[in-house]
Amino acid sequence: MYSAANTVYGILHASLAAVGIPEAVITLVAYAIPCGVVIAIIGPIAGMLTYAERKISADIQNRVGPNRVGPFGLLQFPADGIKLLLKEDIIPDAADKKLFKLAPYLVFTSTVLASLVIPFGGSFIVADLNIGLIFIIVVSSLLVVGFLMSGWASNNKWALLGGIRSAAQIISYEIPTALSLLTVVLIAGTFSMQEIVMAQGPWPWQWFLFHNPFTFVAFFIFFVSSLAEMNRTPFDFPEAESELVSGYNVEYSGMRFALFFAAEFANIFITASLATAVFLGGGNIGMDPYASGLGYQLLMVLIFFTKAILLCLVTIWVRWTLPRLRIDQMLSLCWKYFIPIAFVCLVMTAVWMLAFGGNGFFWRMPTI
Amino acid sequence: MNAVTRYFTNIRDAVATTLTGMKITLRYWVKEPAITVEYPDRLGAGKTADDIVSDRYRGFLKMEAGKCIGCMQCMRACPINCIRVTVEKAREARMLTRFGVNQAKCMHCGLCVEACPSEALVFTRRFEGASRDLRDLCFEHIAAPVPVARLRAGKGP
Ligand code: SF4
Ligand code: SF4
Repeated sequence: MYSAANTVYGILHASLAAVGIPEAVITLVAYAIPCGVVIAIIGPIAGMLTYAERKISADIQNRVGPNRVGPFGLLQFPADGIKLLLKEDIIPDAADKKLFKLAPYLVFTSTVLASLVIPFGGSFIVADLNIGLIFIIVVSSLLVVGFLMSGWASNNKWALLGGIRSAAQIISYEIPTALSLLTVVLIAGTFSMQEIVMAQGPWPWQWFLFHNPFTFVAFFIFFVSSLAEMNRTPFDFPEAESELVSGYNVEYSGMRFALFFAAEFANIFITASLATAVFLGGGNIGMDPYASGLGYQLLMVLIFFTKAILLCLVTIWVRWTLPRLRIDQMLSLCWKYFIPIAFVCLVMTAVWMLAFGGNGFFWRMPTI
Repeated sequence: MNAVTRYFTNIRDAVATTLTGMKITLRYWVKEPAITVEYPDRLGAGKTADDIVSDRYRGFLKMEAGKCIGCMQCMRACPINCIRVTVEKAREARMLTRFGVNQAKCMHCGLCVEACPSEALVFTRRFEGASRDLRDLCFEHIAAPVPVARLRAGKGP
């Protein structure tokens, strides 16, 4: 089991333990460094996604979009960030102050936690936990605690409704998401993200997406239910600008709002990365990610990011195509369609594995 | 249609309609150009603000001194009295001595333009009237007295 923290720890320990720095400090730093790096990568990506979202929505609606700050408006998101930093930080009088302050950090934390087990190609993964996939499902459910907390603490009817809706929505859509990921676990036989990526190949027909017809369906179920989990249109009930003003974050301003916003866009990227790693072969170029040279590893990272960003663009594209569903449609979509279909996919994948000895449609089990 | 058929038709419809929608937005995304007019500073080469409005736009009023016959119809037609025309007779010639339009009061109703028999008073496409002082919007269209034009009988202007 590989972990960047372990590697950093090894380096730090070798050089610093002799100087007399206590073990606990080294351990903390060893974990803080990879996390800091991940935040430093996720932050700008979330920012660029806000830019992409605005630009693409503008293109789709025959508008121009941001084009004043920097070339083609590329510097719009730093400008927005600075603006949000300078804004007054308002906490409503009637709010539950502690929860109100805590909620955005909780939401952001869950996003960053999920990013820890994403294999960004090559050996670039913070911690290759052997329960990586379960870990992601678990920490992305933490999101709902933050949403509910912010909705409740704001003491505002819109925020509360938004929070409650997000609880109903995210909890129901957890199930199809997890079930559709399980089809891949059945095939790969592991929960470790890096091993799932390594079990696939560089070519499309070697991806789990095309392993059998059921994983193909499972991918789309995963994709759509993760749209619901990150509150994107057509499932943006917790935010629903036209009904709830802005939902759970309506009372937030300044940097706390920016945290919610960044978490939302970072979540798009995380989900796209997850789909890339699990279904689309990740950064696999048919080489061992740990043993190959730095050049190949960077190529893997490039491939991974290309796939993930393309999926992000699809997410944005869907958002500007489909209108919001009705809340009863959203729930019936989940309970009547996605969950049964995901179960069928899971069971049929198991049957497929039995019938064809683990071989896929175009895909042969690697002989170890 | 029984429930089972409906279940599967629903799935098919959901997929088909989503794909149709995505195809349309994709076309708009990659093909259709933006139609936004980036007023005021990026209108495109050689274009001014006047070019972005339509030909029959009702902007500021313009009076052509060579055409005005001094009939004062425009002044009478204006519901809010923002035109002031004075005509004086000097020996044989009638002289137009003043033609003022208070563009700040004008509501661009066009009654004056309709009333003018010689098409001397017309709308321009100029619309940028923002100003710190209302007096900037009171235009005197003639600086010095000019003889009025003669309306030739039988022929339109
Ligand atoms: S457009 Fe209407 S309001 Fe303006 S000057 Fe003519 S008659 Fe008066
Ligand atoms: S502008 Fe037209 S209506 Fe007004 S006084 Fe001159 S000719 Fe008569």
